[in-house]
Amino acid sequence: MALELLCDVVQRCQAIKDEGFSPEDYDLFFTAGRTCIEQGNSAQVLSILVDEKNKSIVRCMGWNLLGPLVQILLKKEDRNLPHCHAILSHLLEVCSPKELLVGLLEQVEEADTGSIAETVTLLLKPLQTVLLRLGMKKASTVGMALSTLLSQVARLPVPVTKEQEEDDVFGLCHCCTALLHFVKPFVEEIKEVVKDNNRISKDNELRVELLKFCMKSLSKPLLEVKLKDPDTLLKSPLRDFATEILIILSSIGESLPDLLSRNVLKRREVPGFLEEEVRYPKESLACLSHLLFVDHIAVDIFPAVLSPIFVLKCNMEYIELLLSRTEESRLQKGLELYEKSLIRVEDNSLPVDLLELKTFFSVPQNLVKVMTLCPDQTLRTKGLKVFQLSIDKFNTEAKYKFFKGMLKTSHHAGVEGYIIKNIKNQIDFSLKPYNGNDWFLGKHLLPLLRLVLCLPHGPETDLLQNLDRIMESLNLLRYMLIRDKEWENETGIWTELYKIEDNYLKPLRTGLNMSKAHYEAELKSAKENKKISSKDSKASVCTVTVDNEKLPNMTPEMQIQVLQSAVFTFDLIEGVLARIEEIIETKERPLS
Amino acid sequence: MMAADPARAWSDEQLKSEDLPKRDLITFIQENAAHSFLSEHKLLGNIKNVAKTAKKEQLIEAYNQLFESKRFKGTDVDAVTEQVQAAKISDAPKETKMEPVDEGPPKFTKTILKKGDKANFPRKGDTVSCWYTGTLEDGTVFDSNIPATAKKKKQSKPLSFKVGMGRVIRGWDEGLLRMSKGETARLEIEAEWAYGRKGLPDSKIPPNAKLIFEVELVSID
Repeated sequence: MALELLCDVVQRCQAIKDEGFSPEDYDLFFTAGRTCIEQGNSAQVLSILVDEKNKSIVRCMGWNLLGPLVQILLKKEDRNLPHCHAILSHLLEVCSPKELLVGLLEQVEEADTGSIAETVTLLLKPLQTVLLRLGMKKASTVGMALSTLLSQVARLPVPVTKEQEEDDVFGLCHCCTALLHFVKPFVEEIKEVVKDNNRISKDNELRVELLKFCMKSLSKPLLEVKLKDPDTLLKSPLRDFATEILIILSSIGESLPDLLSRNVLKRREVPGFLEEEVRYPKESLACLSHLLFVDHIAVDIFPAVLSPIFVLKCNMEYIELLLSRTEESRLQKGLELYEKSLIRVEDNSLPVDLLELKTFFSVPQNLVKVMTLCPDQTLRTKGLKVFQLSIDKFNTEAKYKFFKGMLKTSHHAGVEGYIIKNIKNQIDFSLKPYNGNDWFLGKHLLPLLRLVLCLPHGPETDLLQNLDRIMESLNLLRYMLIRDKEWENETGIWTELYKIEDNYLKPLRTGLNMSKAHYEAELKSAKENKKISSKDSKASVCTVTVDNEKLPNMTPEMQIQVLQSAVFTFDLIEGVLARIEEIIETKERPLS
Repeated sequence: MMAADPARAWSDEQLKSEDLPKRDLITFIQENAAHSFLSEHKLLGNIKNVAKTAKKEQLIEAYNQLFESKRFKGTDVDAVTEQVQAAKISDAPKETKMEPVDEGPPKFTKTILKKGDKANFPRKGDTVSCWYTGTLEDGTVFDSNIPATAKKKKQSKPLSFKVGMGRVIRGWDEGLLRMSKGETARLEIEAEWAYGRKGLPDSKIPPNAKLIFEVELVSID
């Protein structure tokens, strides 16, 4: 039936001149054609379409059949496949490229998640064929096609393990490889232009579209992907994809070192500046940097003459971006990039003026957030390791400035404690022969010490919360009093001591006594309550609800444990404090 | 001898006329008045913003006051402040200028393989372009930007960078500053001015490696 309808409408249209077909003609052709194809009459449809008499009909209306055709091709039914492929080839040759593109891209866009990989694989070659027919005017259409394709491919789940990459169940690897083949002729075209003219205009449209494609790929899927090194996975389509993207960038005239240093060497007065920003998204560049320096992708096209400090400066921008996110994959990449950039630099070599760059302070602050707030323990541990590594690379003056800055801004007792421990190490280092310096000895040390040896809220400071910081600062003081002989006073601690006693030791002693008394009283009453209420039901003073579930009440045993451990903590602090007071007293008492 | 005072740019009538936009007045005053004068009359800062907050009458008054009081640029008591304020405080991040400490003899040697024009030498901050090949002492090539065939060389670009700014290893910064345009030289750079004790981990450059480069300085901009 449908076949007859098709023949009818085609015959009628043969008579119409100058392609003046009516909307009804289009509709009938489409409906009949679709039904025929769906019913398996593709052979007959093919013969109608290739008939010379129907040439102009096919040219105008043929592309509408793309939808149903693609659906049949995706089903991969043997019987009709050859005919359907033949129909497709014919349409690709005869119909208007613009309309074909619309039809093909529509199919790509509408593919549901389960069939993205297959649809893309099927349609890449047809798309390429059509685009190449467009000649000189193809640039923006190429761009549109690439954008649509990438958007769909980016939706595919990313393989995590090497087995997953090998199995490629969802087809991401296959699609990436296919995309490379797809863009190849366009890249070659640009390379020809470069060869002929010895250069290429930054605004060459096709070049710009290829640039956009590379930048977009770097963001999705490449930033998501965790590449495996050749030892783990010898043949990796994703690694090949990454390598090829970098090579394409290089081929179209984008120097990799220039890309890397974009954010550090901003030229503000360039006209069209904003356009430049959009063309080079920071996230894509961050991925580029990670690929180069962590995954060692395309190292042979990247010059090995850049100064390590310059590379670090460039990468700080990307590290800052990656570490400011919360997704663990981003944090992992940020930490890796930071680590790799730091190990290239000699210890004690980074100068203090680097700290005037915003990133050299914002990155450590992001790092602190990772160390203290990230739920993943491996990341927290790695964060701490990289944090210490970064400290080790600063020269002495820079370390000083950095410690000062961190003490003023981190507001976290654990971090402050860690910094104070570093300060102690620096003082120890400086006291050794030939290591003397102005920063951790003498006049600059004292202002730093004042930030260390103080209670944030005077005697009312919560000693438990600030335990890490207090213990480290007391350890530092004790160390200095023992190590720096009174008659040498290289650190100046002895002349400063009376102030430290007034501003720190005495309020600490007061606070300590108060807290101990308070907690010991609480402990006593808790123990008494326990005796009483072990018979009666417990009326809790407060309840804690998380996510609509009430947490179990603290049992009296738990409460006692907590209070007990608080009292032990105060004992700890007191131990060091007492020792310090002892040392001071001994030194001040004249030897008799 | 004092420099001549600036002359009035407009007559009273022209000042009051609507043809004279506020921005022109502001520009004139900013260019000619002492910093303290501008500060007192609230005429410092971005012209657009000043134009928003100041009325034409105020500007005319300030303009006249300027000529009466003769508080032109350079008349501020604290001349240093004047100079500091006048200097454009750029937003661009500063280049880390690492002043070379006097460390003794240079840690590289240069042998000329092909003479340059001996006239054009790059200065710090110039952009230089060069072809190069880098080898280790044992001959291993670890880096080169010279493609295998001449055809491909047409398609590639030489490496471009600003010399003397610490963006490349020290041996290169120092070496290239001593090369003239067109020169090809052999630079033997000791580890200290290359990648030092660390080398380039995960790359072909081991720790404490002396590096040998054959460099052709193609152009200077």
